[in-house]
Amino acid sequence: MTGLAVDDAAWASAWRRRSPADKLLLCGGLVGCALALPAWPGSVLVGLTAVVLALGPARVPARTFGRAVRWPLSFIAVGALTSVVTVGTGGLGWAPDAAARAGSLAGHALAGSAAVLLLATTTPMSDLLPALRGLRVPAAVVEVAAVTYRLLFVLLASLRTVREAQTARLGYSTPARGWRSSGALAAAVLTRSWDRARRMQEGLAGRGMETGLRVLPEVLPSSRAFLAASVAGLAAIVAVGLAA
Amino acid sequence: MHIAEGFLPATHAVGWTLAAAPFVVHGARQVVIEVRERPENTLLLGAAGAFTFVLSAVKLPSFTGSSSHPTGTGAGAVLFRPPVMALLGTIVLLFQALLLAHGGLTTLGANAFAMAVVGPWAGYGAYRLVRRLGGGLLPGVFAAMAAADLATYVTTAGQLALALPDAETGVAGALVKFLSVFALTQVPLAVGEGLLGVLLFRTLTANARPELERLGLLAAAPEPTR
Repeated sequence: MTGLAVDDAAWASAWRRRSPADKLLLCGGLVGCALALPAWPGSVLVGLTAVVLALGPARVPARTFGRAVRWPLSFIAVGALTSVVTVGTGGLGWAPDAAARAGSLAGHALAGSAAVLLLATTTPMSDLLPALRGLRVPAAVVEVAAVTYRLLFVLLASLRTVREAQTARLGYSTPARGWRSSGALAAAVLTRSWDRARRMQEGLAGRGMETGLRVLPEVLPSSRAFLAASVAGLAAIVAVGLAA
Repeated sequence: MHIAEGFLPATHAVGWTLAAAPFVVHGARQVVIEVRERPENTLLLGAAGAFTFVLSAVKLPSFTGSSSHPTGTGAGAVLFRPPVMALLGTIVLLFQALLLAHGGLTTLGANAFAMAVVGPWAGYGAYRLVRRLGGGLLPGVFAAMAAADLATYVTTAGQLALALPDAETGVAGALVKFLSVFALTQVPLAVGEGLLGVLLFRTLTANARPELERLGLLAAAPEPTR
């Protein structure tokens, strides 16, 4: 358990051993379809495909998927609603095609979010970061991102521990105490992050690894059947989306 | 406030990605130079990125009764400077999209432009202005964190207004709409984040003064005379 439900789901997913490139092709294709195809039926097909694949073959817990979708859902609802309210000389009103416009916007966004979530809940970040090298991102930048990924769980654990201790000492019993505790919490996490980085560096330097934390990337072979099914499925979505 | 995946049309998503790219590439170059000259700083930069991510998990008691989360880019701009924050902020946004489902991949460029470019530069500008006018570290930090938050929110509202203009009043009307709707959460958050910054740096001044001196935020204390 890492403390981040999406990351936990990615490590436990039935698609964990699949090649990240294969999953990137499928999810990237779905994101592209969600963006480019008309909301009806394109976005609906993309959204359904992403949800069915996640909850079916990838075996992502429905609760994790549902809870993760809640975050973008609130932004999408507020944003879509705001976009179809008109501000005119007569005050507020609805745009002429309000329902269709809001539905289309929410459809594109929900389908795209589901497709990104399919990737996120099946592929741990440590599998995706080496793929950035393929996009010609400098090694130093990928390494900084990898250290960020590894350290954030340590810092999240520190955050929870310190907050628990503060709460037990009634640190959040009044708003004023809550503010003071939040400031102390952020400072504790920052100084701990510096301390962790310094200690890791000293540990690595002691082992002769002067250039940072290098690890051997796991080799996850590509599957021709998965690729063929992905391309066929995406082609079908595009065909239906454009024909309708 | 991150724009969700699929919320922007493809042309806008590409346009904002191109707008953010020079700043992020510049930040990446700075990081590459830093790592080449001082490889040991790789871990410090990683720690800075992780701190920015984790800061967004600190709950702020909200004035409206609920709780909200800081963006942390103002503190990052003061501590690590805006060019580095352009890259670290983009990495954090990528992680937030893939670990928390906040934001998205096609909207990463737009979110990076607002939160990793405009926010840190506005925050750092406010910090430098306050310090130049004779303000101390804490007023400077308050200004930096509040300005970074407000600038991010105004930029995001502008991006949404450009993508979704009002049927009657166009982009200007849409901007007023998005600014008004998101002001309910973002203006209190900006003030709250400024306060958090003051409390954070007050604790750091007491407990981590050498680190703040090394980062150039505080003048080195004179050696005690014997």
